[in-house]
Amino acid sequence: MEQQQNRAHRPAQSGAKAEKKKGKGKEKQHGFNEKAFAPKSGRRAEKQGRRAAERDQTRLHVPLVDRTPDDEPPPVVVAIVGPPGVGKTTLVKSLVRRYTKQSLNQVQGPVTVVSGKKKRITFLECNNDLNSMIDVAKIADLVLLMIDGSYGFEMETFEFLNILQSHGFPKVIGVLTHLDLIKKASTLKDTKKILKKRFWTEIYQGAKLFYLSGVLNGRYPDTEILNLSRFIGVMKFRPLVFRNTHPYMLADRIEDLTPREQVRESKGKCDRTVTVYGYLRGTNMRMGSKVHIPGVGDLEVKNITKLGDPCPLPDADSEKRRKLSEKKKLLVHAPMSDVGGVIYDKDAVYINVPGNFTRGNDEVPQGEGERMVMDLQDVSATLEDAVARSQIKLFGSSSKALSVDPGPSRLHGSSDEESDGSDEEEEDSEDEGFGTESGWEGESGEDNSDVEDDEDEGEGEGEGGGTGNRGRSAPRTSHRAARGLSTAHDRNGKGKDVEYADSDSDLGELGEDGDGDEDGGLGGGRRVRLEGDEVDIESDDDEEGSDAEEAPRWKADLASKAHAALGSKRRKKNWMKLIYSSDLTPEQILRDGSTSPSGDNKMDEDEDDFFTIKSRGTAAAGDEELDMTKEKVDPKELKQWEDEELLDSIRGLFITGDSNATAGGDDGYEDLEGGADFEDLEATGDGENEEGEQDAEDPEAARAAALAAKKEALKRKFDEQYDDPEASKMDFYEEKKDEIARQLQLNKAEFADVDPEARALVEGYRPGAYVRIELQDVPAEMIENFDPTYPIVVGGLLPAEERFGYLQVRIKRHRWYAKTLKTNDPLIFSLGWRRFQSIPIYSLDDHSIRMRMLKYTPEHMHCYATFYGPVALPNTGFCAFNSLGGDVSGFRVSATGVVLDIDRSTKIVKKLKLTGVPYKIFKNTAFVKDMFNSALEIAKFEGANIRTVSGIRGQVKKALTKPDGAFRATFEDKVLMSDIIFLRAWYSIQPRKFYNPVTSLLLSDKGEWTGMRLTGQVRRDEGLKTPLTVNSTYKAVQRAPRRFNTLKVPKRLQAALPYASKPKLMKPQQRQTYMQKRAVVLEPEEKKAIALLQQVRALRKDQVARRREKQNERKEVHRKKVAKEEAKASEKEKEKRKEYMRAAGMKSKREADREEGRSSKRRKT
Amino acid sequence: MAQPITVLNFSGHQFLRHRLVLSILSGKPVKIDKIRPDDKNPGLRDYEVSLLRLLERVTNGTVIEISVTGTAILLKPGVIAGGSVMHECPLSRSTGYFLEPIVMLAPFAKKPFNLTLRGITSDDRDLSADLIRTVTLPHLQLFGISEGLELRIKKRGSAPLGGGEVQFLCPIVKQVKTLNFVDPGKIKRIRGIAHAVRVSPQFSNRMIEAARSVLNRYIPDIYLYSDVYKGEDSGKSPGYALSLLAESTTGAIHSAETVSQPGVTPEDIALQASRALLSEIRRGGCVDHQHQVLVLLMMVLGSEDVGRCRMGEPTPRTIQFLRDAKQAFGTSFKIIPADQADPESSELLFSCYGTGYINTNRSLA
Repeated sequence: MEQQQNRAHRPAQSGAKAEKKKGKGKEKQHGFNEKAFAPKSGRRAEKQGRRAAERDQTRLHVPLVDRTPDDEPPPVVVAIVGPPGVGKTTLVKSLVRRYTKQSLNQVQGPVTVVSGKKKRITFLECNNDLNSMIDVAKIADLVLLMIDGSYGFEMETFEFLNILQSHGFPKVIGVLTHLDLIKKASTLKDTKKILKKRFWTEIYQGAKLFYLSGVLNGRYPDTEILNLSRFIGVMKFRPLVFRNTHPYMLADRIEDLTPREQVRESKGKCDRTVTVYGYLRGTNMRMGSKVHIPGVGDLEVKNITKLGDPCPLPDADSEKRRKLSEKKKLLVHAPMSDVGGVIYDKDAVYINVPGNFTRGNDEVPQGEGERMVMDLQDVSATLEDAVARSQIKLFGSSSKALSVDPGPSRLHGSSDEESDGSDEEEEDSEDEGFGTESGWEGESGEDNSDVEDDEDEGEGEGEGGGTGNRGRSAPRTSHRAARGLSTAHDRNGKGKDVEYADSDSDLGELGEDGDGDEDGGLGGGRRVRLEGDEVDIESDDDEEGSDAEEAPRWKADLASKAHAALGSKRRKKNWMKLIYSSDLTPEQILRDGSTSPSGDNKMDEDEDDFFTIKSRGTAAAGDEELDMTKEKVDPKELKQWEDEELLDSIRGLFITGDSNATAGGDDGYEDLEGGADFEDLEATGDGENEEGEQDAEDPEAARAAALAAKKEALKRKFDEQYDDPEASKMDFYEEKKDEIARQLQLNKAEFADVDPEARALVEGYRPGAYVRIELQDVPAEMIENFDPTYPIVVGGLLPAEERFGYLQVRIKRHRWYAKTLKTNDPLIFSLGWRRFQSIPIYSLDDHSIRMRMLKYTPEHMHCYATFYGPVALPNTGFCAFNSLGGDVSGFRVSATGVVLDIDRSTKIVKKLKLTGVPYKIFKNTAFVKDMFNSALEIAKFEGANIRTVSGIRGQVKKALTKPDGAFRATFEDKVLMSDIIFLRAWYSIQPRKFYNPVTSLLLSDKGEWTGMRLTGQVRRDEGLKTPLTVNSTYKAVQRAPRRFNTLKVPKRLQAALPYASKPKLMKPQQRQTYMQKRAVVLEPEEKKAIALLQQVRALRKDQVARRREKQNERKEVHRKKVAKEEAKASEKEKEKRKEYMRAAGMKSKREADREEGRSSKRRKT
Repeated sequence: MAQPITVLNFSGHQFLRHRLVLSILSGKPVKIDKIRPDDKNPGLRDYEVSLLRLLERVTNGTVIEISVTGTAILLKPGVIAGGSVMHECPLSRSTGYFLEPIVMLAPFAKKPFNLTLRGITSDDRDLSADLIRTVTLPHLQLFGISEGLELRIKKRGSAPLGGGEVQFLCPIVKQVKTLNFVDPGKIKRIRGIAHAVRVSPQFSNRMIEAARSVLNRYIPDIYLYSDVYKGEDSGKSPGYALSLLAESTTGAIHSAETVSQPGVTPEDIALQASRALLSEIRRGGCVDHQHQVLVLLMMVLGSEDVGRCRMGEPTPRTIQFLRDAKQAFGTSFKIIPADQADPESSELLFSCYGTGYINTNRSLA
């Protein structure tokens, strides 16, 4: 059949229709119609403005420094949290698959993947143990909170959210799973809506919630995972305060380094040396600080080593690409899981690759290459050790070999030499026809011999120089000397005699003659070598000579003059080495090993070693070295200031300094600061000899430039002020951010050029580095009972946090926790990195006068708690638990709060009432007994306020001698014998010094940690009865009714009283009164009226009764109807419940089947 | 688990003050032994004992154990409490000896400090009250400790009998600011205080005259105050002193001081002081050399950022402090010559990475 051919549509090119279309298109392109959004009224405009301003303000946060480096940040920790059976492992597998295209069979421990060009992610699955949840909450940057959609929220989810809240809230994404189990579309919609609403109230309105439908091939659908990964990818993280002040590490690998023999001997009970591996996060981790592993305890760090990144970010080759290349995507680092057939266990590495060459595998024939590599691996000692062990004898007959002082000075000495070596290497490459390969060989050889070199160099030409390399190094040295680098060499010489001083006295000696000697020796050596060269050798003899070498004659003269003026010439020293890695005393460092009076002194002492004066006490009594701030002023040094030239020389340091100095710009000024005065002397005193040429054009140009710069600055300032003074000003927020950025820039720049070891020494290991931390004295149980599903967090401690003290915290019982908390009941705190049990005392501030103890936490109110424990910085949040076990029903987070104060003592008081009774009463004085036991006690309370129950106030006066413990007291009124007198006192109490870290990681069954039990629990467990003291039992108080006797006034007194005050006692009336005895007779009308009223009332009564009867009948019918309906409804309800229970039962059964190992109890919300 | 506490071990009687300060700030116990073991009069001196007593007073929970011979002490630090404290200083050292460590501790106390010290206010061994007021406190201001920081000289007291009284007020901070002070600037003004007690008030004027004769050539902005205390406020012994300080355009301060000596005319004292000031200026750097330790300590305690400061050559005290600070806080400094280009310059650039020390004693309640 032939298809019908229609003509193609041709849109109109002109005409009304075309116009219209064009117009329409254009209109759409306009997009923003200003008029449409213009405010119609002034008030509205104001409102809009205000709203805009408010929205602008919401953008602002307190500026926080982010200490994570930008260039190589540590992987982001994405924790996957949820109740068991919700699909956590499936999600990890799906995500790892998404990022790396690899399937993991078994996920254990953290899994690190590269997710982008500048981003890595560590996935961490959190099991259902509360301890793990706490630890994970402290380190997770992003939490994927998994919720079973078909079941709803569970208690663990809420508990976890509360833990998160108290330790700084990281980002949270909700993930709803098992949605495929809900069959009906409308139910699904409703469920989603309900769960979302609840989720939003828990986190914040609009929190991200993902829905994952069913499982395909053991993974979630790829598109859904892709979407989720995109959200993870763009997530931005705000630094959390606690993590921004503490270094920490999530260990992804753990190894036991303890010698096997030691373990065997102690039957596995000895403390272990353990290394943990992982990425550093937070701030810089420095040596010398302790770490805390939650669940284990505080541990000493033996050393930290930076390792190569096992999961490196893609480097420069893919820099140009926008996306991560496919090759890079394959990188995954999960030592505890089975990636690539390698599993790292606590004490072994299992490689699952058969048929390969392995070490110790003797069956496979080994070639020469293999053997060589294996030999290299077998080397047990480093080159340095080998050198140290090698023995050099000066003479064949020497009995002792030369020994090298293995002090810390060794280290820098060798590094010095190495740098020398590299210098030489550079020179090598540019001159002298050494072949590259021979050069390399020679260099390495020389490095080797260099160490020996500096030993025998001082001693002259020993036979150590017998190697061929010696010969090679000689011309190079001479070359250096010829280039005028002999100053550097001199410095080396200095460094050497510094290093080889074994003791102070030795040093003095060296300073004296060793210096000259060695210099001479060096010079001599040089002379020998320099025979071929034409350099003037004599000038090498003294130190200044080399400097003077190139300078004109006048300058040499001047230098010596300056030398004389300044005492001793300053040389550049390596201060860091001198201070941090030498044993010299500060004075020696400053004196620079040159001759000094004290050195002479010591020399003298050394000479007569027969009688050594034990202390120069008598001589030095007057000038004993005091700990003084002011230094003794040397009058000689001050004398020099009488010299006019010297006085003039520092003129440049003042703002009024002569124009020459200012015009000379910074360089002249810098020179001056350097304390190099003689150069200034030449500038001012000796005329412009040298700088003459420079000065000819330089000052002019410099002055012009300075002037221009000044003008420019002024102009800018004027412009700023004139144009808009506000515009140039930044607001507080901007300013702070700018400041932070500048400081970070400085941090980065300051140590950029320092070599890594020195850098680690100065600033520690930076976050993002993959390090190996060696820990000492780790409990054996940690290794024995290691379980990779429980995260190992290594948290760095600040110096303050190693201490213990009383912490005062503000605490509030969680409103979902069913019981109130009681003073002196142990509570488990999660504070800082630690989890520990301690005994708090609750208190409230009583009118700012005292801290008053509370027996129980108040309902819905904060109170204070004080407990003994490790110090945490004020403002750190915490949460508390009564029990961490999984078998507890109900909500487990019992309280949350924040640290307020740290001290070594507490001021909590509780009320104490002492009661007593009067046994003798005078007017306003009473003798009181039964309050105290002895006169001593009373003496302590003299002058104390007392009170009766009826409110009469009084004071304790003095103890009575007769009955022990009785005292005299005065009151403002007369007290009664029946009054109870009490004294209100305050008794100060201290919290018990109890600290019990939760060592859950040391247990074989990690969820079963039990701390101190409550007394009641102990009694229950032991089957003991609560002791009952008779005095503590409550009995009904039997109070006899109080009788008051009638007041009797004596007759005589009565008679004397005035009439008004006389008791008016009258006899009762005998006769009937008129009112009592009269008769009442009704009138006929009255009678009638009363009868009528009576009838009307009777009628009404009858009517009401009948009406009620009828109503009851009606009600009865209705009641019957309702009862019928109710019965029907209850039947229905019963059926429904039955249905539901059946479904739930099936589900739990399914679950139980799915995870047989994890038998954690599931608790319904 | 056992909690092994790292103890700082030192020996010798020297540098006692900064060692105690480091211990208290870092919270690590310090053990100092070999305190004058070979001396005729071994063990701690009275002023050292007095200092320990003062430290015990201003802290809460400090335990000090002194060995029987007095040649070894063990100090287990508590928290710095602050508050108002009164202390009688022995006549062997001036108040400066006691104030210096207190100045280092005071910003990190629980309550603002209000310390009254009685004794000698100026001698030739320690910083006088004038110097602490005019030089030490401005150095503290570099680190953001300024509001309410004050030293009041109530009475002056010269050696040997003293009788002076100073009151030190210091606010508390959460954290000290990071220092970045590398430009020494140029000296823009010179100030000075000449004081004379129980001698002719003319003495201070004579000192001022003499000092001006040296310093006037450099700068016109010189104000030397004559500070005369009379009657009760002038202490028990006669004496006079001149303290000078030079301030640069960037706020760097250099100072010098000379105290009266028997048989030396006031003019000579003034000349000595002004020449010492010139030496100090020539030494260079951004901080006074007597305050290097204070500045370095505050840099160590700064936030976890790089702090930099340019200084003259370190004093022996400074060098020992650097070593001790490394032991206590693990912080080492990067020390490089300030100008690489100039081989003759002795100025150094000290930079370190602060420990991020936060005042844990400060209470929020």
